[in-house]
Amino acid sequence: MALSVDSSWHRWQWRVRDGLPQSPSEATPLLSPEKGRQTYNLTQQRVVFPNNSVFHQDWENVSRRYSSNRICTTKYTLFTFLPQNLFEQFHRWANLYFLFLVILNWVPSMEVFHREITMLPLAIVLFIIMVKDGVEDLKRHRFDGKINRSKIQIYERKEQSYVQKCWKDVRVGDFIQMQCNEIIPADILLLFSSDPSGICHLETANLDGETNLKQRRVVKGFSQQEIQFEPERFHNTIVCEKPNNHLNKFKGYMEHPDQTRTGFGSESLLLRGCTIRNTEVAVGIVIYAGHETKAMLNNSGPRYKRSKIERRMNINIFFCIGLLFLMCLIGAIGHGLWNGTFREHPPFDVPDADGSFVPLALGGFYMFLTMIILLQVLIPVSLYVSIELVKLGQVWFLHNDLDLYDEETDLAIQCRALNITEDLGQIQYIFSDKTGTLTENKMVFRRCTIMGSEYSHQENAKRLETPKELDSDNEEWTQYRCLTVPARWAHGPATMRSQRGAQPLRRCHSARVPIQGHSRQRSMGRCESSLSPVAFSSSIEKDVTPDKNLLSKVQDAALWLETLSDTTPAKSSVSTTSSIADFFLALTICNSVMVSTTTEPRQRVTEPPSTKALGLSLEKIQQLFQRLKLSSLSQSFSSTAPSDADLGESLPNIPVSDSDERDDTSVCSGDYSTDGGYRSSTWDQGDILRSGSATSLEEVLEAPALGLASPELCYEAESPDEAALVHAAHAYSFTLVSRTPEQVTVRLPQGTCLTFDVLCTLGFDSIRKRMSVVVRHPLTREIVVYTKGADSVIMDLLEDPACMTDTDVEKKVRKIRARTQKHLDLYARDGLRTLCIAKKVVSEEDFRRWASIRCEAEASLDNRDELLMKVAEHLENQLTLLGATGIEDRLQEGVPDTIAALREAGIQLWVLTGDKQETAVNIAYSCRLLDQTDTVYSINTESQETCESILNCALEEVKQFHEVRKPDHKLFGFRLPSQTPPPTSGAAVPDIGLVIDGKTLNAIFQGKLEEKFLELTQYCRSVLCCRSTPLQKSMVVKLVRDKLSVMTLSIGDGANDVSMIQAADIGIGISGQEGMQAVMSSDFAISHFRHLKKLLLVHGHWCYSRLARMVVYYFYKNVCYVNLLFWYQFFCGFSGSTMIDYWQMIFFNLFFTSLPPLVFGILDKDISAETLLALPELYKRGQNSECYNMFTFWISMMDAFYQSLICFFIPYLTYKDSDIDVFTFGTPINTISLATILLHQAMEMKTWTIIHGLVLIGSFLLYFVVSLVYNAACVTCNSPTNPYWVMEGQLADPTFYLVCFLTPVVALLPRYFILSLQGTYGKSLISKAQKIDRLPMDKRDLKIQSWRSRQRPAPVPGEAQPTHHPEPPVSEQGFRASTPKSSRPSKRKYKENWVVHGERCSRDHMRDDPCSGDSSAKLSSGEHLLLGPGRTMASGVYSSGQTDAYRPSNRGSHRRSQSSLTI
Amino acid sequence: MKRTPQDCPSRLPENTAVKQQQLPACRLQLSATGILSGFFATGVFCLGMGVILILSAKSSMEIEINYTKICASCAKLRENARNFDKECTCSIPFHLTQTMRGNVYMYYKLYGFYQNLHGYLLSRSNSQLLGTDVKDVETCAPFSKSHDGTPIAPCGAIANSLFNDTIILSYKLNSSVHIQVPMLRSGITWWTDKYIKFRNPSSSNLSSAFAGTTKPPSWPKPVYELDENDPGNNGFLNDDFIVWMRTAAFPTFKKLYRRLSRTQHFIEGLPAGNYSFNVSYNFPVTRFQGEKSVVLSTLTWSGGHSLFLGLAYTVTGAMTWLAAFSMMAVHLKLKGKRFSPDDKVKL
Repeated sequence: MALSVDSSWHRWQWRVRDGLPQSPSEATPLLSPEKGRQTYNLTQQRVVFPNNSVFHQDWENVSRRYSSNRICTTKYTLFTFLPQNLFEQFHRWANLYFLFLVILNWVPSMEVFHREITMLPLAIVLFIIMVKDGVEDLKRHRFDGKINRSKIQIYERKEQSYVQKCWKDVRVGDFIQMQCNEIIPADILLLFSSDPSGICHLETANLDGETNLKQRRVVKGFSQQEIQFEPERFHNTIVCEKPNNHLNKFKGYMEHPDQTRTGFGSESLLLRGCTIRNTEVAVGIVIYAGHETKAMLNNSGPRYKRSKIERRMNINIFFCIGLLFLMCLIGAIGHGLWNGTFREHPPFDVPDADGSFVPLALGGFYMFLTMIILLQVLIPVSLYVSIELVKLGQVWFLHNDLDLYDEETDLAIQCRALNITEDLGQIQYIFSDKTGTLTENKMVFRRCTIMGSEYSHQENAKRLETPKELDSDNEEWTQYRCLTVPARWAHGPATMRSQRGAQPLRRCHSARVPIQGHSRQRSMGRCESSLSPVAFSSSIEKDVTPDKNLLSKVQDAALWLETLSDTTPAKSSVSTTSSIADFFLALTICNSVMVSTTTEPRQRVTEPPSTKALGLSLEKIQQLFQRLKLSSLSQSFSSTAPSDADLGESLPNIPVSDSDERDDTSVCSGDYSTDGGYRSSTWDQGDILRSGSATSLEEVLEAPALGLASPELCYEAESPDEAALVHAAHAYSFTLVSRTPEQVTVRLPQGTCLTFDVLCTLGFDSIRKRMSVVVRHPLTREIVVYTKGADSVIMDLLEDPACMTDTDVEKKVRKIRARTQKHLDLYARDGLRTLCIAKKVVSEEDFRRWASIRCEAEASLDNRDELLMKVAEHLENQLTLLGATGIEDRLQEGVPDTIAALREAGIQLWVLTGDKQETAVNIAYSCRLLDQTDTVYSINTESQETCESILNCALEEVKQFHEVRKPDHKLFGFRLPSQTPPPTSGAAVPDIGLVIDGKTLNAIFQGKLEEKFLELTQYCRSVLCCRSTPLQKSMVVKLVRDKLSVMTLSIGDGANDVSMIQAADIGIGISGQEGMQAVMSSDFAISHFRHLKKLLLVHGHWCYSRLARMVVYYFYKNVCYVNLLFWYQFFCGFSGSTMIDYWQMIFFNLFFTSLPPLVFGILDKDISAETLLALPELYKRGQNSECYNMFTFWISMMDAFYQSLICFFIPYLTYKDSDIDVFTFGTPINTISLATILLHQAMEMKTWTIIHGLVLIGSFLLYFVVSLVYNAACVTCNSPTNPYWVMEGQLADPTFYLVCFLTPVVALLPRYFILSLQGTYGKSLISKAQKIDRLPMDKRDLKIQSWRSRQRPAPVPGEAQPTHHPEPPVSEQGFRASTPKSSRPSKRKYKENWVVHGERCSRDHMRDDPCSGDSSAKLSSGEHLLLGPGRTMASGVYSSGQTDAYRPSNRGSHRRSQSSLTI
Repeated sequence: MKRTPQDCPSRLPENTAVKQQQLPACRLQLSATGILSGFFATGVFCLGMGVILILSAKSSMEIEINYTKICASCAKLRENARNFDKECTCSIPFHLTQTMRGNVYMYYKLYGFYQNLHGYLLSRSNSQLLGTDVKDVETCAPFSKSHDGTPIAPCGAIANSLFNDTIILSYKLNSSVHIQVPMLRSGITWWTDKYIKFRNPSSSNLSSAFAGTTKPPSWPKPVYELDENDPGNNGFLNDDFIVWMRTAAFPTFKKLYRRLSRTQHFIEGLPAGNYSFNVSYNFPVTRFQGEKSVVLSTLTWSGGHSLFLGLAYTVTGAMTWLAAFSMMAVHLKLKGKRFSPDDKVKL
């Protein structure tokens, strides 16, 4: 045995030693022709031997060199905890300082206090931190353990089969068998998939946040395999790269026994943390395990962030050190001078133990060190501990805030970084991701226009507005949602995912108690979104309520389509009916959506369900139908759309809105009973089950019993837009049933299925901005091109109406086009994503010609892409416009409101997105990041020169305007870039938006144009960076953070936001559907963007003002107290004696004055949450660091000096020349300073709760109790000094009371006086807000209203019209710089600015009203159109009165109106 | 992040007042009148208190006689440590114009004697003074042991530098008759010092109790012979010793030396007339540029003769009033301008 081990070891060694002449990764796939000896260089590559009988020896030798799959993210182990933790703690200089003092105190000649006593503070600090670290580490340990103990099937060599083991037992070289929905435990090379084509589907949501499925391929040569994979037959050795953190880079080769090699790449690698989907079984060999997996290597630990306050504090601590040094120097010099006055040693000058005296200089030096020990409290080391505790408290409150809790995901806010809570109150720039952060990343079909007539889909709009209310009203619906969950998951193995899905189940049964002040909505409808394994298919996306008008037309259209098959095709291309049919066909066909069923494992439907599936359950379906009929009678029918549930009750009537479905049902059942054709009944089944999935309770309960868990069709789309369109078509019963590369099957409303032969698919690309599908119509046999694309592109490709033969038709076409364009503008204004749908009929001959050209193009080697595009252009022209769709990327709830509030708070919001420019701009408009009246500069260029000139132009223009408007601003506007950007405030500032794309960013970064860019952005109300990579995102954040030295916050939800989250001062992750990557790297994780408002405006403000004021107070407290000791030195020959017993000093800091600042730091509310939310301007206080800056620091220092002088010298002068002894003198001083310090604290506290009162009074009383007990309890403690009975003696002395009353009064009089004046007559926002806060509720609201109106010049409550846009939307078609109103006369434009401004203000009023919220914010387009002109008129009238007063200062706008950049 | 059934069913934060930071809180709401009346009231109180204190301080009497200069010859003698055994007395006559009524206390006062030096303060052994262990002299270095290693009792620098002048006040009843004013040397210490903090070692007689120890280097006599007249006033329980051991807070301090025994002529206090202090000058002060005084004083409820507290109260009262007036001025000026009556003064 031993021999064989050795031999294999040698073999391996030998391979390693020789190395490879060239790196294998360079030449992969590498099929080495030479049959010579192979070598492996272990320093550059990894060799993996399979863990089977054949290679067992090799495996044992090699694998033990690789890390195992056990992960351990803890910092300490049980044994290393103490030393390592201590070691780390002593890296903090504060602790070192403490240690230094302790050591100093051990030097006999400098011993001020007892040696043991000096160690006490250090020990306490160390202990507290140690406990905290220990608890945190324990948590990590538990979490690791949970992961390590997850189960997985590992191939066991001895048993020759797969055995369930823990994740931690996985070794490199092991064969792992994974089931569907299992999470992959390590980086595994895929060797076998149950899929016949050797493909394994993977969901990488945990890794990069993308929910669409990725395909992984079995290593070449393994795809053609029998039913089972046999590990024992695997005789290859695997050579691959060393572990690295490139998620998408992997190369290696497999060496066969015959020395041939097979290359493989990242397409065969299953990464740890991903989930297997749609694949029953997959087998692979472990390549990297544990910490060497790519996922773990990418997971760098959280970086230590130091908050702004802490940074400033450190500076101030250096001041304190300076002060300490100065005081010690004074002590040392004073001691020397004092000693020098004596010719000989006086009797009170006590020599050393051996009777000798230290020389003068040395004595001075000793005194210096002694004073350091004595005055050590000046460096507020306890402040660090207090801050940690306060932050813990703050975090605890954050965690417990109901407003930051999301019921759907059952997640409260998570604070992952404990030490930067107060930074939340100082944010100046927010960088936001778009998709999933501002929007829900759920594309919803919103409205459409077909042949020039608009279908506004009112019901749909209403449903979208109020999904939650409907859900909660509809009990049945709720129950259904809950109960389908087990059914759906019954078959899948119990994975974490499914448990997660099951979670909301329980919650929906537990009754929610409505909470006062917090409106809780019961909403189960969207629990779907969290548990649905299918991308882009939450209920809200799937369910489209059809427009009644359109629906009936669709019926006709469908009927017409039916007739096509019978009669010869009627060439009426412009007829509305056929167009509607074409429109929906285009929606259904012209995409790349894959169809799958929702059963587990997800199976892709590539062909219509075969007879096999039907035969399985024919009887059961029959039963189902019968039950369905019964249930219809019992009126428990409800349709897929939740809003229809009510309507569903009125079943016996002729259907109102979902007549289609009902018709459908009846047709289906009719079909079935008459056994009308195999095919159609197949579809009926699908249909029934589809609607059945939403039907009454008992049916659903039966669903699992049927054996085929509802084969509801699921659409997997590359982009959510496509899915939305398919779902929309589906709502009108044009259902995409299956798709293969060759065929697409569509089911029509009548239940018939049409199978289109796909002749060609011209995929979407961002240059063409369109996609086309060429199909052969099964009925007419025509070749039809369906195109959909951006309106700007399609509109240019339409057939020229002038070429029309018939003038009537021409007119009609023109009319349609104009109207469609109008609708498109309307959509864009509403922030909808618009797509145009067009069609073209191609003659056989043309198509054949075109196809041959295309074939040629495909075959060409050089610039193939270009050629292909050209070819595509040949086909995509002369299109007939069918219509357009408006898709809403639904904004998350409350986003515009939040953005407006944040902006009012003076925060600059940038959107950094990888998305398309037009999408980003649309969203920016809809979330009011950009306003219709804004001047938007778009910069899209790749060349640095162009970029520079554009920047210059833009800057000049902007500057010119600003010079005129604010001539004084130039003085400090740009020179100091850190200044808050000027244009955010003021009435008629032309708000400027900047849209920039990734390429331009590159140019900026490469061309050193950062300064100019930043300067320009300073003037911009908002900046949008589109098409930016994660790296660019983080570079932008870093640029702003470093160059402008501002506080930045990044918020995002996906893996692509990770770098930007990490780059910012505060990273916020949105724990949504897109995996946990962003959350893992964030400092705070919230569940909705809207939570940001309360998080920043309320908690941020509180945390900041609490902590800042606590820090200032701490400095004050320590300086004040320590100075007492210092003043005493002048009366004791600078000998370092104290008039206060040391224990009492310790108690003073430890018990009597420690709790009030903590309570203050955790609980104090300078302004109530309501006021803070109502007046976002108050946030600026934190941005400008008003609570804690040099000024406040020095003011409090001065105050501390003054107070300590008073506290010392009033008692001194009182007791001067008396027979008072040292401690009897110290007691009143101690008492006085305690009273002063506590009263000072009391003055700082703005709100008094019972806790505040208890703590303050308690501290004061505790002082007396402890002092009395201490002074009475022991005669000889703390020998040789002895405060026995001092306190008692003092309490019997009237002078003590006289002093104790007078001194605090004198000490606090100035501060109190100033505070009183400030409180009454102070003009700062804060004091005003505090005044408001003190009013009773009703008055408070009025005050806030009037405040807000005072802030703005034009309060017009009557003008409250939230989304009234006086201007047509900015047309972003050219994607060049565009100013919407550049062509207009400037005067008129100015007026509109004014009007819009007034509206914005009144909109804010609306927001205060709780009920007006969203519903009023989204008026339907119809109202817009109606209200539009009248409104403009009214506002014009209004503004004319004010125009004159304003005009003189506004000349600049004349020039600005020309601003448009065309590059 | 990954939910397991073991987790609590919901993470919904509890809706308690504490957790939602909605504890009933009051914001101090003081109206302008409230604040102003507060200021005025404080001012009135301080002024009144100041006047009372000044009056009471005025009512007490204090006579201080600095005898450093008067007994310069003795001081000169004492500057040389070798003359420690030479007696030197000095008489200081003075005239008392007014009767000192009530309890009269005699203090000695030292200038420039730093009893509060850090090293000095610590140079004592509390356990020795408590009588538990006479030989516990650990903390007293270098005054812990004599050259031959015998522990010193009482040890330490404080004890060693004991004030050892004897001051006798005599009253010239008439030109020829001098009577010694009867003075009590008891009751001048804190009760707790005399009966708790200082204890003689338990033994049949004092000298045996202190056996095995030696006197401090600068003491003429051992600790058990401090008071030859009263055997109970010896050892660590000697009142003068106890008073000395309570270290003064400032370099200039007085310590209670004797109190008037109100008998015979002195029932009402010290009558006006001629007096003289007879000082046996032992304690050297010129070596450290110090001075010595003897003080006769009566006490009031508010302490001694010091006017400071009264003045401080008066000044504070005045300042408070000033602040109140200025606030009122600002208030009245601004009130008319823009503030509605419901505006409140903060805090």
